[in-house]
Amino acid sequence: MKRLLAIGTTLFLALPAVALASGGEGEKFNPASEWTLKPWVDIQIGPIDMSINKAVAYLLLGTVVSCVIGIVLMRVKVGSEPTRRQALGETIYEVAQVQIAEQGLPTKAIRRWFPYVASLMVFIWVVNMIGFIPLPLSDEKWKIFGVEVPTLAIFAATSTLSVTLALAFMTWMFTHIEGIRANGVMKYLQSWIPDVPKALYPLIIPLEILGQFMRLISLSVRLYANMLAGHMLILTFIGLIFLVTPWIFPFSVLLASVFYLFEVVIVVSIQAYIFAALSAIYIGSAIEPEH
Amino acid sequence: MLSSFFFLAETTGDVADAGKAIALALGIGLGALGAGVGIGNIFGSMIQAVARQPELRGELQGIQWLGFALTEAVVFYGLIGGLLAYVLV
Repeated sequence: MKRLLAIGTTLFLALPAVALASGGEGEKFNPASEWTLKPWVDIQIGPIDMSINKAVAYLLLGTVVSCVIGIVLMRVKVGSEPTRRQALGETIYEVAQVQIAEQGLPTKAIRRWFPYVASLMVFIWVVNMIGFIPLPLSDEKWKIFGVEVPTLAIFAATSTLSVTLALAFMTWMFTHIEGIRANGVMKYLQSWIPDVPKALYPLIIPLEILGQFMRLISLSVRLYANMLAGHMLILTFIGLIFLVTPWIFPFSVLLASVFYLFEVVIVVSIQAYIFAALSAIYIGSAIEPEH
Repeated sequence: MLSSFFFLAETTGDVADAGKAIALALGIGLGALGAGVGIGNIFGSMIQAVARQPELRGELQGIQWLGFALTEAVVFYGLIGGLLAYVLV
């Protein structure tokens, strides 16, 4: 009960952003408007838009927080008598080592690729997690005591496709680089082709090449769509207040809390785990193909 | 006259929009149907496996969550495809 109350309060804090997103100028409330990224600091390098917007701010925050988590939990005052903090750090390390690296990577490659998959896991977990904490990072402003402050809002950087595609592209590039480095170009490309009669080659080879690109899409869209759907459901349920009637508030917040709990407890951790685990599996299978 | 007899409603508004909305909902719904069966299978098999060999629980859990996430993602592919069709077409 106490927890449910805490979640309700958290969601209530997230409310003003949605309220102000609806405008009050007769503008219809649309949850998708949370995903329009307005540039805060305009940076244009040639044709490339490098301006800092909401997603970039969340990414920067996520980077800082994951660095701090790593340093505080695993570097500061580590001894042979573990405190609770150190035990937590060791648990995270163990999950990354046993569940992710040792499952996917061959033994000789763990040393080189464990840091990558572990930091992927921690970084994606942190970015997903701060996406569910209402933070004063949004496009709408409201006035408290005459000072314009951004409203509290929930938004995850991983619910934009560019972020997840960049992460997936990194894994994809590393997969091929490692595969070529370990096996040589011809042997690596041959390892894509499964054991089938030669007559089937014209059918199989294009499919396998397509499959390599599908990995890129499936890896990025899985994380992106999970986070997008979670946020959109929560925002839609809270937004029912504006769409239907304010009296629906208790029901919509209850539904939103259920989804909030589901997302925070299960989806956030699983998606971080899955992304890192699949990265490890892809890189591992490129280094040591089955045949 | 005839239309009211057959309960055919007069269409007002954009019919194409309505069609897109129906397609989006159908796509997600059918995707969720498949994923529901799949996720049920995974957890059912997990329960059976743990009931038979409780000592393997730790090892199985990793595989279980991997399978869960891979299956669950199918719904979201449908969702994204539907949203793309809704927005772009």
